[in-house]
Amino acid sequence: MRILLVDDEKSLLLTLAANLELDGFDVTTAESGQHALDLFETSHFDLVLSDIRMPGMNGVELFRAIRAKRPDFPVILMTAFALEGMVKDAIAEGVFTVLPKPFDVSHVVSALTTALKAPVVLVVDGETDAASAVELLHGAGVRAMHGTGADQVLAEVRGGRVDVCVVDLELSATSAPDLIDRIKKEDPTIAQIAIAGHDVAAVMRRAAASGVFLCLQKPVTAESLVEAVAKARARSRATATAR
Amino acid sequence: MDAVLDTSAERFTPASERAEALFQEHLFEVHRRADIMFAILMAVQWVFGVVLSLVVSPWAWEGKVRSVHVHVYAAVILGGLLSGLPIAMVMRRPGWVANRYVIAVSQMLWSALLIHLTGGRIETHFHVFVSLAFLSFYRDWRVLVPATIVVAADHLIRGLLWPESVYGILFPEWWRFLEHAFWVLFEDIVLVFACLNGAAELRAATERRAQVEILSEIDRTKTEELATALEALEKSQEARMRTEKLAAVGQLAASVGHELRNPLAAVRNAATYVQRRVTDPRFAGQPASADPKVAEFMQLMLRELDASSKIIADLLDFARERKPAMNPCPLHPLVQEALTVIPQIGVRVVNEVPEDLPVPSLDKDQFRQILVNLIQNGMEAASGKPDAQVIVRAEGGGGRAPWVIRIIDNGTGMPREVLEKIFQPLYTTKVKGTGLGLAVVWNVVHAHKATIEAKSEEGKGSQFIIALPAAAGAAAAE
Repeated sequence: MRILLVDDEKSLLLTLAANLELDGFDVTTAESGQHALDLFETSHFDLVLSDIRMPGMNGVELFRAIRAKRPDFPVILMTAFALEGMVKDAIAEGVFTVLPKPFDVSHVVSALTTALKAPVVLVVDGETDAASAVELLHGAGVRAMHGTGADQVLAEVRGGRVDVCVVDLELSATSAPDLIDRIKKEDPTIAQIAIAGHDVAAVMRRAAASGVFLCLQKPVTAESLVEAVAKARARSRATATAR
Repeated sequence: MDAVLDTSAERFTPASERAEALFQEHLFEVHRRADIMFAILMAVQWVFGVVLSLVVSPWAWEGKVRSVHVHVYAAVILGGLLSGLPIAMVMRRPGWVANRYVIAVSQMLWSALLIHLTGGRIETHFHVFVSLAFLSFYRDWRVLVPATIVVAADHLIRGLLWPESVYGILFPEWWRFLEHAFWVLFEDIVLVFACLNGAAELRAATERRAQVEILSEIDRTKTEELATALEALEKSQEARMRTEKLAAVGQLAASVGHELRNPLAAVRNAATYVQRRVTDPRFAGQPASADPKVAEFMQLMLRELDASSKIIADLLDFARERKPAMNPCPLHPLVQEALTVIPQIGVRVVNEVPEDLPVPSLDKDQFRQILVNLIQNGMEAASGKPDAQVIVRAEGGGGRAPWVIRIIDNGTGMPREVLEKIFQPLYTTKVKGTGLGLAVVWNVVHAHKATIEAKSEEGKGSQFIIALPAAAGAAAAE
């Protein structure tokens, strides 16, 4: 798998590249956004991993330039700043995830591995709402699909393409906490995001106890949903690599 | 400011009102004092009257038998009544309006009594005039009216019914009364003028005092309000400075945190690589030393850790505003010392400081630090140019001349808008950098009571000029 690694910090570039190479990635480095874009246009890559704060073209601008050419291309950003406006924008526009610096090499590797699989967010919900949640994610350039019924959902999970599940806690047919437990049993590496209605404190607690990554309260905006997915993908996935 | 400080006079009691109050107060005091004076006079007159009746009157006009004459009783009882009533009134309510009218009447009746007791001797007639004069102490001409009426009535009635009692003779001339009346009226006129004048003077005096009082009241209020406003201003300024300081600390923490994260991330990655290279079973049998990356990364880790230390040192330099420990310190070797700690980046640095320059007194550590910061900035600005160089020059220091130290580079220079901000903390044009270097320089230079100035020409280079006052060398002057 060919990775394009972009950072103006030479030390970080060298050491991260060396580590990724140990993990079997084919790494090309670039010290600026412009250089990276030139390389992107002339060679083939499977993923771009870039720092955000750089002189000249920054990481978010690089991401937009890549998106303009290849809308589906996976881009992961890194930043030393906890949260900045640029990070929010990048996430809303569908960057795969943003990794906070400094990070564990294994953490990057797991994020890269997941991103390269071109994973899908599975939205489990009542018919109409689910469709709109999927649309919200699509609008932000995030791959998403819609699952109805426990059997179909579990079949998708078994298929291995799903890395994040968004589960509505107000499911009518199936008990949501039950479904969360069954998904977890099927694939513990899948991050689950629960969406709570208005009066479901008890269900939410139950969901949190069963290892849900994040709970969102309705009404859920596109921004918060996309951000939750990006956060779920940035989380440390020691379990994922241990598998 | 207008809202806080209202100095308009409208808020204060009007001067006329205050003057009236003061006038009334003074007038009352005048009346009270006159009342007391008359009370004493009444007592004295009574004693005098009794003594007079005992000593004089038996012989005056019926003096054939030395006995306790009816006049003695008259003096004791009538005099007692005449004096007793006013004394009682004054004691009960000194200054009361009624007192002075009662006193006026009593005093005139006393005149009549004394005149009678002496058998109309001319001396006792003077008592009338003196009494009228005393009554004018009240500064109230109205008091003279009942007094005059009483004295006139007395003279008229007694003159007709008992002339001996008034004039000492049985058949006085018909104009006797008129003569007396004329003199009394004459004195009255003079006294009325005196009273009116006295009152007017008192009024003028109280008006002046009221003005002064109100002016000083306005002044005092103004001063108080100014002090309050000043205090409020100081407080708000303090609060703002604290807020600004906190904001600066927050910004500083964010900036420094960010600067530290990059070297830390690199060190972490390098350490991870070396660890994997050593422990991963895939590399069993291949010594880590065979991988050039291992040695390279060890070097890199040291470098990045140094960079982290530098950031922290900058921060500490900035945070710690230590008072400089001034000692004589020659400049040429100090520049030389600074050069040894600056990493070479292919820029020539020339120490042109004369070795025989007079020796200033300064904090060696702090001054070396600012030389390092300034030289390093110059080197970074010049690096990349083929003839890149930084020159350090110094002159002056003899007698009263200040030392002038220049750090001159032939680098990229700075535009005006950058030049204006370079000494502000956290301001930086470098991608890497906390924006503290020149802020530290500024602090140290000012702690030395020196000044620093930056000049720059875009494309040609910059120079930083430190002027160290001659007094700094006083300790070193031999």
